[in-house]
Amino acid sequence: MTSKEKVMRALRHEPGPVPVDFGSTGVTGIHVSCVAALREHYGLPRHPVRVCEPFQMLGEIEDDLAGALGSDCTGVGGRTTMFGFPNEGWHEWRTPWGQLVMVPEGFRVRSDAGGDQYLFPQGDVDVPPSGHMPASGYFFDAIIRQEPIDEERLDPADNCVEFQPLTEADRAHWRAEIARVQGSTRSVTGGIGGTGFGDIALVPGPFLKHPKGIRDVNEWYVSLVERRDYVHQVFSHQCAIALENLAEFARIASDKIDVLFVCGTDFGTQNSQFCSVATFDDLYAPYYRRINDWVHQHTTWKTFKHSCGAMRPLLNRVIECGFDIINPVQCSAKGMEAAGLKADFGDRLVFWGGGVDTQQVLPFGSPSEVAAQVTDRLETFSPGGGFVFNTIHNIQARTPTANIVAMVDAIQRFNDRGG
Amino acid sequence: MPQLPELTAALAAGKRAETTRLTQELLAAGVAPQSIIEDGLVPGMALIGEQFKRNEIFVPEMLVAARAMKEALKFLEPLLAQAGIKPKYTAVIGTVRGDLHDIGKNLVSTMWRGANFAVVDLGTNVAPERYVAAAKEHGAQIVGLSALLTTTMPAMKETVATLREANLPGVKILVGGAPITQLFADEIGADGYAADAGTAVDVARRLVGDAA
Repeated sequence: MTSKEKVMRALRHEPGPVPVDFGSTGVTGIHVSCVAALREHYGLPRHPVRVCEPFQMLGEIEDDLAGALGSDCTGVGGRTTMFGFPNEGWHEWRTPWGQLVMVPEGFRVRSDAGGDQYLFPQGDVDVPPSGHMPASGYFFDAIIRQEPIDEERLDPADNCVEFQPLTEADRAHWRAEIARVQGSTRSVTGGIGGTGFGDIALVPGPFLKHPKGIRDVNEWYVSLVERRDYVHQVFSHQCAIALENLAEFARIASDKIDVLFVCGTDFGTQNSQFCSVATFDDLYAPYYRRINDWVHQHTTWKTFKHSCGAMRPLLNRVIECGFDIINPVQCSAKGMEAAGLKADFGDRLVFWGGGVDTQQVLPFGSPSEVAAQVTDRLETFSPGGGFVFNTIHNIQARTPTANIVAMVDAIQRFNDRGG
Repeated sequence: MPQLPELTAALAAGKRAETTRLTQELLAAGVAPQSIIEDGLVPGMALIGEQFKRNEIFVPEMLVAARAMKEALKFLEPLLAQAGIKPKYTAVIGTVRGDLHDIGKNLVSTMWRGANFAVVDLGTNVAPERYVAAAKEHGAQIVGLSALLTTTMPAMKETVATLREANLPGVKILVGGAPITQLFADEIGADGYAADAGTAVDVARRLVGDAA
């Protein structure tokens, strides 16, 4: 059975070996420092690892490492990064924690006296930076560049500038990406951007040189209550563009991808969801439904929704909107216990994640504690399919290599003994 | 003349314009600023905190209420300062070094202000020594540490150790943030842990011996 077949069985909710994902998306990856450590551990050729996603500083999972980790998935990424520059023209960069990595040509940083790093949108050092990594940090956060808000002049078009029809450069990129994965024995996840509604990582527009509209995170959340018409207008425009772009992408990708990453908007905090069910129904569901309906009517793809946090009260709505897959399944959040989720939603939703807790057990537990939790989650989530193993969100910096290896070995043992 | 319960209700409903208008009308009618805060705004924020704890409202509604209170306080704080009236307790708060996340920290800050604590907000990426200096300078009874990231949990531990070494009598340390647990708080020697912004008020009050 190929990796792709393993994933497809799981997506069809059929029993079988548990497929694994490390690195097919920007929310199922591994920090570049851990990628280098894993390459070292598995005795793979040494070289500076590429930072394929500079916002979270995710490292490229090359084919050899994917094999060592037992990953069954791969991804086709966007043409540009979260900071608006293309993922090409690689050069070396020494990180604040002393690691030599490869970054794209457009990755241009400046340091301040304290060693904090500032990254520039589209690689343009003549505009204010849009990313900030503290000297003791391991990834970037968006710098809020909110112009003063004049309620009378707020124009939803200002929050729509990032939602544009695909360009010829985009089409060429996607053709090349699809050609790259064509014939892969791994399952392929793709995403074209612009289908995530109100993703708070994207609201500040770290890829824009001069973002306008509502770009402050708090201001955006306030807008969900006080400026709902504005948000509807943004989402409506965004959805129309996204559907056009998906049609183009479908012509290029066809059945060469299996899963479409739709949206990374977080609907949960550690203890509760981010919005009421009524708000979800009014503000998000109509657009999600349009995207998912189109995908299911015109392609064979399964749709992937990422949302951190305690969002159990919203999961029925997620299913009703047509999503097939939920990630990262944050079992450490309130109400998100694995067994309960599997019992209540497991026949209708694929859990792509939930494999091990990245807040406590994976970074701070012992290898045996990691193995125990991984085995427990495999036993809970795998019956009847509907489970793709992934950690709960990306593996973070400072996670002990021994713990990651313990996780990989536990998955291998589980699958070797037939589940 | 409007009544204080109207102000409480307006704030609890997140009605910014109405909260501001009622505050101004109450002032114009001669109600003492301290009473407007303690008998109008503080109960309103307490209601908000309770609703948040019960998952009846969520972060966006909290932020809206926080703005309403902040706008009302703009009218009241200068008058209190003129009269030399200060809140009974002072808290210093910040997100620990290496961590730039502030939504949770801001919510706690707002809820503490809403409970009539003076709050000195140090922002994000705060070095341990800055907490110590601010606690000394402002005579704080509470120091609040926030961290969203697993990678910055060690910085929280380091900050608690630095505060302990500084030997600040009467200062209680309260920690919180997504990956933080009561167990971790105990391990690093914090005095209190709050899972959410509403609870942070209860814990802070308990720590200063002012439990409601």
